[in-house]
Amino acid sequence: MTHTLHRRGDIESLSEDYVMLIMPARGVNFDGSEEKMRQIWEVISHYEGELPNFGNASNGNSHRTTMEVLKKATSMIAHAVFKDRETLKACLKELKERDFGISVVISGLYEDVERLCTEVGLSPHTVEHSLGIHGKTERLPDENVLEISTMCGHAMVSPNLVTHLVAEIDEGKISCEEAAKDLSRMCDCGIFNPYRAERLLRKMTSGA
Amino acid sequence: MIIDKEECTGCEACHPYCTVGAITTVEWEGKSVSEVNQEECVECGVCLRSEVCPTDAIFMPELEWPRSIRAAFSNPLIPHRITGIGGRGTEEMKTNDVTGRFRLGVAGVPVEMGRPGVGTTFRDLQTVSMALAKVGVEFEPQNPVTAIMVDTKTGKINEDILDEKALSAIIEFTVDNDRLKEALKTLKEVSAQINTVFSVGLISRVGGDGTIPTVAIAKDAGFSPRPNTKTNVGLGKPLMKEV
Repeated sequence: MTHTLHRRGDIESLSEDYVMLIMPARGVNFDGSEEKMRQIWEVISHYEGELPNFGNASNGNSHRTTMEVLKKATSMIAHAVFKDRETLKACLKELKERDFGISVVISGLYEDVERLCTEVGLSPHTVEHSLGIHGKTERLPDENVLEISTMCGHAMVSPNLVTHLVAEIDEGKISCEEAAKDLSRMCDCGIFNPYRAERLLRKMTSGA
Repeated sequence: MIIDKEECTGCEACHPYCTVGAITTVEWEGKSVSEVNQEECVECGVCLRSEVCPTDAIFMPELEWPRSIRAAFSNPLIPHRITGIGGRGTEEMKTNDVTGRFRLGVAGVPVEMGRPGVGTTFRDLQTVSMALAKVGVEFEPQNPVTAIMVDTKTGKINEDILDEKALSAIIEFTVDNDRLKEALKTLKEVSAQINTVFSVGLISRVGGDGTIPTVAIAKDAGFSPRPNTKTNVGLGKPLMKEV
């Protein structure tokens, strides 16, 4: 389950795209973690206004569920998408202070995440790098489509949908914001970043 | 997935949502309707969950073996029997601070066949898994792909499913750092023998001095690590102990 790893794009664009994933480990600290996960959602909810997306596959993404539901639900995975480093830092700092003992993973630019860890008094424990795409790469869609579609690591956001919505934006049928929301709702885990998608769509189209 | 031709109005609203472009318009009993190409459909369920069909004509039939393997690997809302979690892999490095699955000197490598968005047959997957098995990598026992291998020493996959397709499936293995380069070079070589793509990850414990020795090994094997990573920040408890 490497679904937050292989996001594409340049440094500037990726600097607005961080995903926090929090989960207990089966066989170690999974059993009895339900209440801790509810409290973790409570912490995440403090930053809700700045989060482009959140959720998990069981309870749905931010288009299908709410923080209020998640704070009461039995959910053993939490995802939260951040568009800026400062909010991410504040949330990580609060999670560290609360000391839940549940694993936290941050996907994003390593230099930023490493610096952020230092700032809140943590050290990266384990890192997973993306070594890129290999094989019959001529079967891939255009890179600018991939930058959007790969924000759903399970590939629930179809490249054809990106292309279709780009055409609709250019025809004036839909706004970039509406298109980004439609793409985002297809990512069940809530890791798609509609804020970044909207900005990428603006670059790809003549739309507002 | 199936589209009920009686109910379908031929509006084509579902077409762009299909993750593998398997929905087309056909002529049926004097009208234009949408049809799912059963050969290409990976049973991910996205067309149904998009909720764009105005007549609720899309439905998922009960899938029998071996076709059911398509949904198990493609639809993240269906938990795998082996892992107990939705998605296509395992907890891998996400809980490594407490599980200690990846220790200093050992690299983890998830090879996600078909990602991003191209899809894969299990025959292509077998081509890669058998090449890796020859290098002597250790396939992750909790991974659902390992569960469909009939022999983890050879990487051979259950013959029943070789021509089935999935949106993606992750071959997950560990290898000592001193044999990592050989495993990665094997991936480079075998990538020319398949009709799909794969995305490669590289999992490493961070050394006490903050170094990650596997990055240099990957570069030496001809790979270019991307600037964005997944980082376990070590907040889990009880923290693993290196032996």
